Amino acid sequence: MSESTGNDRLAGLLAQCGLGDRKAFADLYDATKSKLFAVSLRIVRERHIAEEVLQDSFVNIWNNAAKYATAKSAPMTWMTAIVRNRSLDIVRRPLVEVADEDDYFALNAEDQAPGPQEQLASLRDQVRIERCMKGLDAEQLQTISLAFFHGLSHSEVANHLGRPLGTVKTHIRRGLQKLKGCLES
Amino acid sequence: MKLAKPDLRDRLAAEFVLGTMNGRTRRRFQEYMKRDPALQSDVSRWEAHLMPLAGRMAAVDPPARVWRRIEAALDGSRSMAAAKAKPGLLQSLGLWRAVGLGATALAAVLLVTVASLKPPVEQEPMLMAVLAEDNSDARVYIEQPKSNLLMVKMIKPWKQNPSLAHELWVIPRNGAPRSLGVINAATDTKISLAGLDSKLADGALLAVSLEPPGGSPSGVPTGKVVCKGSIAWMPPKTQKAPAQI
Repeated sequence: MSESTGNDRLAGLLAQCGLGDRKAFADLYDATKSKLFAVSLRIVRERHIAEEVLQDSFVNIWNNAAKYATAKSAPMTWMTAIVRNRSLDIVRRPLVEVADEDDYFALNAEDQAPGPQEQLASLRDQVRIERCMKGLDAEQLQTISLAFFHGLSHSEVANHLGRPLGTVKTHIRRGLQKLKGCLES
Repeated sequence: MKLAKPDLRDRLAAEFVLGTMNGRTRRRFQEYMKRDPALQSDVSRWEAHLMPLAGRMAAVDPPARVWRRIEAALDGSRSMAAAKAKPGLLQSLGLWRAVGLGATALAAVLLVTVASLKPPVEQEPMLMAVLAEDNSDARVYIEQPKSNLLMVKMIKPWKQNPSLAHELWVIPRNGAPRSLGVINAATDTKISLAGLDSKLADGALLAVSLEPPGGSPSGVPTGKVVCKGSIAWMPPKTQKAPAQI
């Protein structure tokens, strides 16, 4: 399956989900569950919590599928962001602050939006970001990788590396700036 | 309530998407975002930039029960919507505030978290390191996905040179370097070693040295160290969570 067919297929399935097609939803789940489960598992680090994140994320993907039609992102970008946000909210959230999750979610899914021609092919995007990551210096690469893949906060990255918080923040900020320069050039 | 400076907005959007904000800052940012469509656009742009990184992660199959629960949740939310609201565990705990129907699954997660505050049983050891030259050019990325496995990924590979071997070492906080074997300097390598964990146990740094073909004859590094980097250990998140409660 070529990258664009993959993206088009997922976008098509999402559109059908928006119309209430449960069969399309099952296909969408099968096509993406393993990647998305891995994303959450790395961050929450406990299988049963990652399972709950995946479940919750897909319920929301279903509920917001109709809005996806107007979103500007590629389907995997949109779904990965949902799963990462859920996972990060859980590892960063004290227990009692459960409220507002749905509001945030709905708003997040309502980005104004450009047309399907802007749906970027996922593989091309991946190659580009990886190329840009290689342009980072070692400290920037390590801190940003720890944050992205393992879901660590600024202070957790600092603890893991035994470096001052300010230094870590600087590495991350400069690394992100450099990535932006590279990605938007 | 708006964030005025474009630079600041962009930086915060990037950090929100990367996920490095602490809980309070994250929630405050989410509040801003609700009222500020332009900030949502900044976040979307950063998501489009960074999310493709996840494409390189190894897939992990979730168990079949997850799908059954999703289906049950969809069927359930229809009947719940009809019944308007159903008294539940959350209310009995006095936590029911603005929790929407769709948030119940999340609430369940949080309750499960409380129930499992005992130390997690299956914790895989995990480490990550970026090895760089002295000028801080990153050369090698190393991860430990399983207790007996190291993944060695070349960020900038070296040229093949039959008269030289690149040997990987772990340098403990106190004590002599221990060899983890010779790596292929031109491409990604998997190192699968029994007893890897105990070799790595008190490791502080990973380093690559140049050795004669076949590796160091003496068991200690003999040639130039071409790159090194500190080890970031991955302790379980869930042991930290209780401290926030």
